[in-house]
Amino acid sequence: MREPIFPVYNWITVRTGNTQKCKQNKWRELVKNIIMSEIIEYGEENEEEIELTAAEVLQQLEQAWLNEKFSPDLLECKVELVECMIDQITEMEENIKRAKKGDFKISIHRMEIDRIRYVLSSYLRCRLQKIEKYTTYILEQDKQRKEEEPCKLSQEEFTFAKEYAETLEEHLRNVALRHMPPNLQTLDPKQTAVKPNLEKYVFMKVIEDTDGVLVEEETLDTGEEIVDLQKGDQHIMRYKPIASLVSSGAVTLI
Amino acid sequence: MDPAEVEFLAEKEEISVVPNFTQDKIYLIGGDVGPFNAGLPVKVPLWMAINLKQGQKCRIIPPDWMDTERLQDKKQEETDSKFFTEMPSPHFMEITQLLLKCATDDIPHADEIRTLVKDIWDLRIAKLRSSIDTFLKSDATHAKLNYLTLMELNTARPFLTKALDQMHLLRSNLSGRIQSTQE
Repeated sequence: MREPIFPVYNWITVRTGNTQKCKQNKWRELVKNIIMSEIIEYGEENEEEIELTAAEVLQQLEQAWLNEKFSPDLLECKVELVECMIDQITEMEENIKRAKKGDFKISIHRMEIDRIRYVLSSYLRCRLQKIEKYTTYILEQDKQRKEEEPCKLSQEEFTFAKEYAETLEEHLRNVALRHMPPNLQTLDPKQTAVKPNLEKYVFMKVIEDTDGVLVEEETLDTGEEIVDLQKGDQHIMRYKPIASLVSSGAVTLI
Repeated sequence: MDPAEVEFLAEKEEISVVPNFTQDKIYLIGGDVGPFNAGLPVKVPLWMAINLKQGQKCRIIPPDWMDTERLQDKKQEETDSKFFTEMPSPHFMEITQLLLKCATDDIPHADEIRTLVKDIWDLRIAKLRSSIDTFLKSDATHAKLNYLTLMELNTARPFLTKALDQMHLLRSNLSGRIQSTQE
């Protein structure tokens, strides 16, 4: 049989146990740099190696993209998925350069790359929009985060958030605050921070059976409401009761 | 979400095509496709099928549900049932649209199919409207939406979620006030 043009992309090479592991380590290095040594214990626990094919990574990235799109709050950043997919795309582009001109496969590969790039950039852009909108809130949450909890922001996003917050404050000061009477010149981030509306209604689909989700707490005029989520069911409800299920992957937003 | 993005998701669905060229397996990031043998059907993602069709490199085999008889039955079932019935494909609307746009010649009775799918869509949207109405009036805080396709949810999304957000806000303000007066 003739040697295919893109031999790198068979299953075995993409099943990158080692690369995946080194990515995790690299990622941990990055996170460590930002928040110093707090995260080490978390890193140790996360030692387990994940083996995924490129197709599975893509699948998970698309899931993460949709969840991010529909969730009112900022979710945990899937740095590993994003980096893995960028590597795949870059490698594929190298392959395309090497392939002979006019090959029919090239246009197909190009199209696929364009599609993946769309998902990637839409995902990252969606996160940036949330970071811009809820800067103070997100930074505040990050400060209160316990040691063992993973950071929601990637290193680049964290830098962006910090710089954005600083620039914005400086701008407000220069444009308006310094012209105010002295007693009104302070800016209290706690009062001005825009918070995401966690009570927003979302559509979701159940991936794993989960029993006894408390949808409505008991109030004076209504009793509490509990639902059992069955695999494959679709629901519409408020985001807050299912927020933890979205992060754990038991449900996905649609 | 933009309807174009729902279509984007639908384009990942697999469909059979009969290529008129021969080609080894293509190793895509999202999985291998092929090998292609001229005249033999092969499964490819919809986006690729459309691209091949536009380059006149293949003939598309319509999915087995895209058939006047099957759709006629489906329409009847949808009319008879009070609830939403399961659709043959979670992206039936988008797939029909895409195929009818670029591969009309590969689909027998294309016009009838267009009408039938549109009828089913209209039936379901009408049902969706009336169930939203009942849902809003019932004061319920959550609802099950089985068998609704993404495109249908997306049609209702902007209005429905916003309205529910507002209602929740009003309701929580109201109960908060009652509590504070009682205290």
